[in-house]
Amino acid sequence: MDLETAKERAGPREFSPADDLPEEYRKAATRMIEFHANSEIMGAYLERPFIRQAPSIDRKLAFSAKVQDEIGHGQLLYRAAESLGVKTREEMLDDLANGDGKFLNCFHYPMESWVETPMIAFFVDGAAMRRQATLRRTSWEPYAHAMDKVCFEEGFHVKHGEDILAELMSGSKKEQQLTQEAFEEWWPRIIQFFGPTDDKSTHHDFAASVGLKQQSNDQLRNAFLDQYIPKARKYGLEIPDEPRIRERDDGTYEVEEDDLDWDEFFTIAKNDYEPGLDQINGRKAAQEAVQWVRDTIEGDASAAGGHAPQAAD
Amino acid sequence: MAASLENPDELDERERTALKTLLKRLADDEFVLAERYTEWQVRAPSLESDLALANNAQDELGHARLWYDVLGDVGLEERDLVYERDPGDFRHSTLVELPFEEGDWADAVLRSYLYDVAEDLRLEALVDSTHPKIADRVGKIRSEEEYHLEHAQNWLERLADGGEGRERLQDALDRLFPYAFTLFEPCAPPRGANEASGDEPRAVDPDVEDDIVDLGLRDATLEEMGEEWLSIVVPYLESLDLELPVDGRADDGADEFEFEVTEAMLPEERGRDGTHTDAWFDLYDEFTHTYRELERTETTRIMDKPE
Amino acid sequence: MIWEVFRQEKTGQYHTHCGNVHASDREMAKQFAAIQHGRRKPTNSLWVVPREEIGEIDSEDVAFGGTTDKSYRWATAYNTTGRDASEVVESEDEQATAERQRGDD
Repeated sequence: MDLETAKERAGPREFSPADDLPEEYRKAATRMIEFHANSEIMGAYLERPFIRQAPSIDRKLAFSAKVQDEIGHGQLLYRAAESLGVKTREEMLDDLANGDGKFLNCFHYPMESWVETPMIAFFVDGAAMRRQATLRRTSWEPYAHAMDKVCFEEGFHVKHGEDILAELMSGSKKEQQLTQEAFEEWWPRIIQFFGPTDDKSTHHDFAASVGLKQQSNDQLRNAFLDQYIPKARKYGLEIPDEPRIRERDDGTYEVEEDDLDWDEFFTIAKNDYEPGLDQINGRKAAQEAVQWVRDTIEGDASAAGGHAPQAAD
Repeated sequence: MAASLENPDELDERERTALKTLLKRLADDEFVLAERYTEWQVRAPSLESDLALANNAQDELGHARLWYDVLGDVGLEERDLVYERDPGDFRHSTLVELPFEEGDWADAVLRSYLYDVAEDLRLEALVDSTHPKIADRVGKIRSEEEYHLEHAQNWLERLADGGEGRERLQDALDRLFPYAFTLFEPCAPPRGANEASGDEPRAVDPDVEDDIVDLGLRDATLEEMGEEWLSIVVPYLESLDLELPVDGRADDGADEFEFEVTEAMLPEERGRDGTHTDAWFDLYDEFTHTYRELERTETTRIMDKPE
Repeated sequence: MIWEVFRQEKTGQYHTHCGNVHASDREMAKQFAAIQHGRRKPTNSLWVVPREEIGEIDSEDVAFGGTTDKSYRWATAYNTTGRDASEVVESEDEQATAERQRGDD
C-alpha cells in the first residue's frame, strides 16, 4: 500500500502484520514503539535499587512486582515493534546498550533516595498512563494490543506510587520536607515528559497523519496537569513557581516554555547527558555479562533444529 | 504426636525458644534469598527469564512474610525481625547471603536448585507441625516452591549441556557446595533466650534443635533432612557431569547412598550460629537504609494480616 | 495433521481459538479453515497453527499467579483518596474484575 492509502485508511487498530505497509510507516512506528519499549527498560533500571531499599516487606514486594511489570511491558512492546519487520528485539536491545537507543527524558536522571520514588511511580507513571490510554487507539494493531495489557497493569503502578507519596506527606516533618524538595527537582522534568509544544515537535505530524499517535503533546500535557496538579496539592505539595503555569478560562493550561531547560532536554534526547550515560552503560554492562547465557541457549536451539522465524514475520 | 502448640500464651520457655528458632530459620532463609534474587531484576539473560526470577523472588519474600507473621504471636513485629534487628541475630544459612557476581547466572540457578531441594524437604517435614499456623501455611508455600525447583532444574540441564555453561556451573558448585551444607547446621537460639544464647557466635545449643523435633514442630531432624538432601542432589549433579568439590561418597558401590559431611568441609561462616560473611553486613545496611534514613519506627503494610 | 484455528472477527481485535481442521499442509489448512470456521461468523482473519507445535502448561502443572497473598500487585490494595484519572479508574476496575474471576477476594 502506498503512503496516501495508508493515511486514508489510518484508524484505530487498522493495520496488522498482514498489511503491506509503506516503509515510512514501518520506520516511524518502529521508532515510536522502540522508544516506548526502551523507556520501560530504563525506567525499570532506575527503580530497581528501591526494591532493596524499600522500608518494609510489603513495599519491597510491590516494588519488585512493579519492576517486573515494566520488564513485561518491554517484552510486549519490543514484540509489537519487531512485528513491523524493521528491527529485531536483539538489535533494539543492543542499540539501547550502545547508547543509540532513545528513551524518556525522566529516566536519564539518577534517583538516589526513597523520597524521589513517587516522582517516577506516581507522576511519571501517571503521565505515561495518560499517553498509553490514548495509544489503545493507535493504528498499529500489535501496539494497541500491547497497550491493552499495559493499561490493565499500570493502574497498580500509579496507585502504588500515590500511596508512597501519601505516606511520605503524612509522615514526619523531615519526610515532608525531603519529599517537597524532590518534587521541586523533578517537576520541570515531569512537565517536559510530554516534549516541546506542538509547534516545535518534529515527529508529531507524520505520526498523527498515519494514526500512530492519537493526541498531541499539548493535549496530553493538559490532561495530565488537570488530573495531577489537584492530586499534588491534595497531598500538601506546593507547585513550584517555575515553570509558570497559567490556567486558561477554558480550564486548559499554558506552560511558559521559556522557564524550562530545553538545552538539557535536547542533550538528553541525544543520549549525551552524563548521568544518563552512566545508566545506559550500567545496563549495558549487565546485558553483556549474561551474553554467555544467551549464546549457550541459542546454540542449543539451532543444534536441535529449531527453525528460524519467517522473514514475513 | 505432641500436643498442639496453638496458644502462644501457654507456651513455656523451652517451647517458645524452639518455636522462635525454627521460624527465624525459615523466614530468614527466604527473606535473604529473595533479597539476593532481586539483584537479577533488569539484569537477567533475557526479558522472559527476568520475569521468571522476579516471580521467584516475590514468592520467597511472601513466604518470609508468612513465617515472620507467625512470630507476631510471640510479640515480634516486622520491625523487630527485619528493620531493627541486629544483623548478627539473623539465622539464615550463609548459602543465601553470598552476593552474585555480575552475570553469574550459573550461580543463580545452581544456588536455587541446592536451596529448593532443601526447602522442599523442610516443608514436607512441617506439614504435620504441632503448631497449627505452621501446618496451615505450608500447603500454599509448597505449591509455589514446585515451580522454583523445576525452573532451576530446567536451567541447570540447559547450561550443563554447553561448554562455557558447564564450566561456569562447575565454578559455582566449587564455591557454593560447602555453604549449602550450612542449610542443615544447628541454630544458636535467639539472643537472650537462655544461658546458651546467641550473644556469642558459635553458641549453638543442640537442645533447641532436639526440642523442635521432640515438640513436633517439625517431624524430621536436621541430620535426616541433610542425608536425604545429599541423596538427591549428589546423584543429580553427577548426572549433569559436574564434580563435587569435596569427596564424601562413602557407599563405595553399595546399594545404599552414603555421603559423609565432615567438619572440614564446612565453611567458616555458617549463618545458623550467628557468624556471617562480610557481604551480609553490607546487604543489611542496604536494605535497612531507607528505614534508618527516614527515622522510621513502623513498617508499612499494604496487605491484610495473613489469616 | 491437525491445525488449530484462531479467528479474528474484525480488524484490530484479537485472534481467539475457534476450532481446528485436518489438512496435509499449511496451504490446504488455510483453505479448509476459511470454509469450516469463516463461512458464517464474522471473520476478518484466521491463523492456522500446527497442533503439534503448540506447547501447553495447565493449572495442574503450575499454580498460575501463585497461591500466597499477592494483593500488593493489584491497584485495589491501595487506599488513596481524591479523584483519579479516568485511565487509572478503568485499570482498577479491570483489575478488580480479574481478581474476582481468579477468586482472590
